[in-house]
Amino acid sequence: MITLEQVTRRYGETVAVDGLTLEVENGEVCVLIGPSGCGKTTTLRMINRLIEPSAGRILIDGRDTAGIDTRKLRLSIGYAIQSVGLFPHLTVFHNIAVVPQLLHWDKQRISGRVEELLDLVGLEPEVYAGKYPGQLSGGQAQRIGVARALAADPPIMLMDEPFGAVDPLTRERLQEQFLRIQRELKKTVVLVTHDLDEAIRLADRIAIMEAGKLVQYDTPEEILSRPGNKFVRDFVGADRALKRLSRLNITRYVKPAASVGLDGKARGAISASGDRWLWVVDDKQQLIGWVDGNLLKEGISIKEAMDAGDSREIALSESATLREALSRMLGLGFMRVPVVDNSYRLIGEVSLKDVESATSEGGG
Amino acid sequence: MRRFFSPDSVALTGSAVGLASLLAGWLTLKPNRLVAGTSLDLWESSGGAGPYLIAGLWLVCLAMSVVNLKRPRGAVLGTTANAILIMALVLVGAAGSRLLQGESSAARVSLGAGFWVNLVGAYMAVFAARRLLSEAGAWRHAVSWSAPAAFILLLFSGWFHDLSVMQEYSGYQQRFSQEMIQHVRLFGTSVIAGTLLGIPLGIWATRNKYAERPVLFTVGMVQTVPSLALFGLLIAPLSALSFAFPALRDFGIRGVGVTPAIIALVIYSLLPIVRNTYVGLRRVDPAAIDAALGMGMSRWQVFRRIEIPLAASLVLEGVRTASVQAVGLATVAALIGAGGLGWFVFRGIGQAAPDLILLGAIPVIVLALLVDALMRLAVRLGTPEGTRGAGR
Repeated sequence: MITLEQVTRRYGETVAVDGLTLEVENGEVCVLIGPSGCGKTTTLRMINRLIEPSAGRILIDGRDTAGIDTRKLRLSIGYAIQSVGLFPHLTVFHNIAVVPQLLHWDKQRISGRVEELLDLVGLEPEVYAGKYPGQLSGGQAQRIGVARALAADPPIMLMDEPFGAVDPLTRERLQEQFLRIQRELKKTVVLVTHDLDEAIRLADRIAIMEAGKLVQYDTPEEILSRPGNKFVRDFVGADRALKRLSRLNITRYVKPAASVGLDGKARGAISASGDRWLWVVDDKQQLIGWVDGNLLKEGISIKEAMDAGDSREIALSESATLREALSRMLGLGFMRVPVVDNSYRLIGEVSLKDVESATSEGGG
Repeated sequence: MRRFFSPDSVALTGSAVGLASLLAGWLTLKPNRLVAGTSLDLWESSGGAGPYLIAGLWLVCLAMSVVNLKRPRGAVLGTTANAILIMALVLVGAAGSRLLQGESSAARVSLGAGFWVNLVGAYMAVFAARRLLSEAGAWRHAVSWSAPAAFILLLFSGWFHDLSVMQEYSGYQQRFSQEMIQHVRLFGTSVIAGTLLGIPLGIWATRNKYAERPVLFTVGMVQTVPSLALFGLLIAPLSALSFAFPALRDFGIRGVGVTPAIIALVIYSLLPIVRNTYVGLRRVDPAAIDAALGMGMSRWQVFRRIEIPLAASLVLEGVRTASVQAVGLATVAALIGAGGLGWFVFRGIGQAAPDLILLGAIPVIVLALLVDALMRLAVRLGTPEGTRGAGR
């Protein structure tokens, strides 16, 4: 657990961080966010004492960091930054091995660990271990940066815009990977970003800062549905209802869907409302299109009446969010979208009504 | 699409210069060491097919400088230029001996403008060839080093014995090796001292914001003082010092001599070393340093493991510049009684004996090239692999 008590940092006349009190639970991702100059990076850098607080205390698991040797403190905290800061004269292997070497691990343990970490961040060790940073793409370099920060398996990770310097597509992939790794490793993470979508996506708790002060510290859901004041409301933006949808997984909202097989037999439940449109599945239960129920009643064969559709384009996976569901509905002009499992088998559907009710739940 | 004609301006100029050199006098036959003699062009100084061969080779160079042969172009151009250089050396050596036959023992044969211009033209062609052979390889080394190697071989075999420069040498043999050693000692001492002083100064300038401007300003400033003036400027304070504390004279601290020369040379070598150390350290990515500190390295570990390796190539580059510069500047040191190869240059000027000047000047040039090559090797070895090829 990281505890900040009335932490202040002054630079001459200016106060960068002003009486900040904050607690980060073990295994949680705390995202510091706010406009530039709000003190979020200063706060982060005070935790590993790259910047010393002018006043206040920072405790890790109840121990005042001021009493810990700075090098020992930093060796026990992972540190990843936006510009990555890989050492250009060292190979990927030796970049990752820096902290284990500082901790005098033996060679075998180090090389085993490096291999493990490269696997973890999805870069084949045989290919990448011997490369120099100059030979990596931006996304690869950032992954190495994260791997390097994880090297000695520190319980705490400090990350300053770790996915900042890459294109949006790569960033999304890195975020996904981060969430997967975090689910597995359960680190205590303090992450600085200026990207609200990133914060909503990654955070267990978001700390919104303004002019060195903490404005609101809450779960993303709470911040989006109950912004504490005008600043937060403005900061999260008028589209916060939409943003909130991206926190909500569809699984809670999936309902059984009416479908028919190619033989014309109904599969699954025909919904009580007697919806006009039915999903069409093949004999492996895989989604292949949809059909107008009225045409079937008139005796037209399924093969003639059916609109074929590519599962990958129309259906959502189980891990999708309501925001994606809504976007898919708007894009396709459907009131309902099908949900499939990993092998494209139909498992249900999400309707616009469900999305609406989810939006109103939070009172947003 | 590749064009058949694609002139290379450097090779073209070199070829033109080389062809023009055939019209000028290559050797001068003088009844004795000091008087003016008769200038002889290549054909007059050397009989046989040699001169025609050189002219022919220059035409090949000319062709290579306009016709695009793509890959073999650099190799052909470089080989031809080297052949010209070696031929020219062989010819002047042989012609010297031939011309002296039947002359009095006081007669001299010295090298004329044509020979030197030919040398310049050939080196322009070599330079162009090296550029065409952009990737380093056996050919590139052959093009760079075969003519100098031939020169050294011919020199030590006594091939140039009858040329006036070598006759000056035989008159000063003992003195020559003495001054040569003195020259090496002068620039060697000052570059080592300059490095030991310059690198800490450069580091200090990056670490201390109050030191930064004064240090860089001062080393930049002294560089603008002409070398002769700096040597002169040191005479007054040093002789005053040695008069005030006569004991200092035992350590060689006098107004003239080796000490002021070395002091001046050290001051000159400071600028490239200090500036390159400063720039080299400043150029290290601040993010790398931040990451290193944040990961738990001590300030010293960051310096030793991150900053030194990343700045090394630029620092060594600075030492290289300083060394080559010091080889040349040490020549001037002879003027204040420090000796070195400059002794021959200034004595030659005093006696109006151009060949004696050459006896000092040629070894200085050879020495500078040698030092340059050695230091380039050092720079290459000192550049960490991951940073090679990135803007260096």
